[in-house]
Amino acid sequence: MSKTIELSPVTRIEGHLAIKVEVEDGKVAKAYVAGEMFRGFEKILRGRDPLDAQHVTQRICGVCPVEHGTASVLAQEMAYNLTPPPNGFLARYLLQAANFLMSHITHFYILSGPDFVDVAKIADYSGSDPALVALRNWVKSQINSRSVVPGGPFLPRYAAQYLQDADANYTILRHYLEAIEMRTLAHRMGAIFAGKLPHAATLVPGGITEKMTELKISEYRSGLDTLRDFVEQCYLPDVVAVAKAFPDYFTVGRGCGNYLSYGVFPLTAGNATKLLPAGVLLEGKFQPLNPDAIAEEVGCSLYSSGSGLKPYDGETVAAPDKVNAYSWLKAPRYNGKVMEVGPLARVMVGCQDGQNAALKSAVDGLLKDIGREAGDLNSVLGRHAARALECKFIIDQCDQWLDQATPDEPTFTDFSVPETGRGCGLTEAARGALGHWLEIKDSKISNYQCVVPTTWNCSPRDDRGVPGTVEQALVGLPIADPQNPIEAARVVRSFDPCLACAVH
Amino acid sequence: MNELSRRSFLELSAKLCAAMGLGAGMIPQLAAAAEELAAGNAPVLWLQGQSCSGCSISLLDAESIRPVKLLTSYINLSFHQTLSTATGEVAVATVNKIIAAGGYILITEGAVPAGMPKACSFGGELYGDQLVRAAKGAKAIIAIGSCAAFGGIPAAENNPTGAVSVPQYLKDKGIATPTILTPGCPCHPDWLLGTVTYALKVGIPPLDSMGRPKAFYGRLIHDQCPRFADYERERFAKTFGEDGCLFKLGCLGPITHTDCSVRPWNGGVNSCIRAGAPCIGCGGEQFAAKADVPFITKKRAAEKTDKPA
Repeated sequence: MSKTIELSPVTRIEGHLAIKVEVEDGKVAKAYVAGEMFRGFEKILRGRDPLDAQHVTQRICGVCPVEHGTASVLAQEMAYNLTPPPNGFLARYLLQAANFLMSHITHFYILSGPDFVDVAKIADYSGSDPALVALRNWVKSQINSRSVVPGGPFLPRYAAQYLQDADANYTILRHYLEAIEMRTLAHRMGAIFAGKLPHAATLVPGGITEKMTELKISEYRSGLDTLRDFVEQCYLPDVVAVAKAFPDYFTVGRGCGNYLSYGVFPLTAGNATKLLPAGVLLEGKFQPLNPDAIAEEVGCSLYSSGSGLKPYDGETVAAPDKVNAYSWLKAPRYNGKVMEVGPLARVMVGCQDGQNAALKSAVDGLLKDIGREAGDLNSVLGRHAARALECKFIIDQCDQWLDQATPDEPTFTDFSVPETGRGCGLTEAARGALGHWLEIKDSKISNYQCVVPTTWNCSPRDDRGVPGTVEQALVGLPIADPQNPIEAARVVRSFDPCLACAVH
Repeated sequence: MNELSRRSFLELSAKLCAAMGLGAGMIPQLAAAAEELAAGNAPVLWLQGQSCSGCSISLLDAESIRPVKLLTSYINLSFHQTLSTATGEVAVATVNKIIAAGGYILITEGAVPAGMPKACSFGGELYGDQLVRAAKGAKAIIAIGSCAAFGGIPAAENNPTGAVSVPQYLKDKGIATPTILTPGCPCHPDWLLGTVTYALKVGIPPLDSMGRPKAFYGRLIHDQCPRFADYERERFAKTFGEDGCLFKLGCLGPITHTDCSVRPWNGGVNSCIRAGAPCIGCGGEQFAAKADVPFITKKRAAEKTDKPA
């Protein structure tokens, strides 16, 4: 007999997500992933000045605005036939990297952490760490208070098996507190070049409005050193600790197995070789990226516009009452295939022969530490591990860019907006492959389409009824207690969904 | 937890009333608010509509009161979609429990899709319905960010969802709960923290005619601009990355009421204009509203324009 379980809303992600799973014999037989908030950015952009695009599209998402701004200026630079000066590129890489680090640290500790760590254990803490003592005293006072939600927002939660080892709990909780400081630091580093975050003010086609000074370089590097210590001494070891405590999560949450990366972080300004390379892994075989293979289907999506359109020709006509449609996300496909994007996809693509050998050896090393094999990466914990490892590589690359920057040299190349033109900006957001497609007529935006990481990952079924990768990752998952379906929450959160992005 | 007695709360409240020029009748009310605050019992319910979560992310960047301190010593954040451990049915039950108990401060992030109600829902309930329910039981509402305060980008021209601001939506539904606006895209963390702590400790802060706290939105960016001297000397930047006043690149500092010029962002490390970026008026009521008003422009620099009056 089948039973339907709903996780609606899924919290501790960005935005409005609802999951419905049908469970048979204790395992998920079918899964439906629905995005529940629509604003219509692509409609709003039409008719506007092209220079609005990097400001408007950043507001798609407060977690990854920098990446939207980056995709937008890349699309415009293609349309304007424009190349920023080296400092302009480097400042943008440093800004984007800072946002990645902020996002990944936030994801593991603040968003996903409470699925593994036992927050309630802090009540038994008998150590002397001042921050943990303060947290313990607060939790105890909350439990005895008249508060409507004692211990909110850290309680209540699903009743489930959390991390058993008390000391490991205290360590990760201490790092949770530290992580809030680190993610703030990462944003502060980004703001050195962004003016402010979230929503960078300085991104323009042709580079960046902020200057590159020796003080800025040093200020960024100082923060970077602190982040490096945190990633190496806390984040990576904590991922290993969680991985060892929850070995089952190397065997569940298996996605579609196809991976897509647009590539990100050129090794030097404007370099075609990227730290995390572009590429496609389709049914285990590596292919170079072909953006022309991307199309969005809307058979099960709440739109009446054409299905299977390529992004330059994309349309977004809302149909909130459409029959048999269940999500505000479109269903992007690559040559008709479901793809996974994100840190795991970048690592999978990067580990292919001839891509990034250092990354491959680091992945092998980490797997050896945990006692797993490469085949286990396509899993909940594989995604967490890929995210953490990526942070280490990005931090080392930032050091290189800081060395390459030349103080007081220009950060901006001037341009004029053409009457007509088109361009696409392909980059990677923390959550995966991000593309903006722009068309200009009469010096105004005539069409703008965004195909966003979580649109790939949380996609609904396509026109052929093939489920998206998160939907596939849920199928076969054992759910012990239908009242407390934490297993499903752990699988979904491992993808770090961002729904404001996905629907836009 | 502060071990203040009822008497000391009354004494504190009497002092506060005297300091603020309020009548003695306010003393018990203030005492109750202060006691509630010290006990960490002043509940805050945070809901998200058509939002990007940017204002929530901005709050995590707060440096005047760090987030952990905020949550453990200043407010009881009973529910927040991005932070709460509660998921699914547990989350819905938690929100309903808070609404049933009443007496909370409601913080709302994001616009309301008035023209297409199905464009936003939470746990199977339309956001517009949830908002009405939550607004009825709230002591006060803080509409955080430009989307909640004014409609922002979701309500920009040509938007397909008929999005409106929270005060507009509630007015149309006949709900009169006091509403404070803290616009900004995102809202600067200090603007929210200054407002919410004041609201919990004292009451509604002094507001301007649109409902924004005067302390943060009382002056024009332009009046305190770090490039004001360039403006006075008519040294205008002609393109991006140049020194000088950014007016000819479309800077909206002369019509935008926020204190960004004296309250930089991200721990004080920078601000838009300081970083060479024209103000796009993200805290203003007309932010993004009209399709033919560009955020930034290179056209004005090519024209011969006099400096603004």
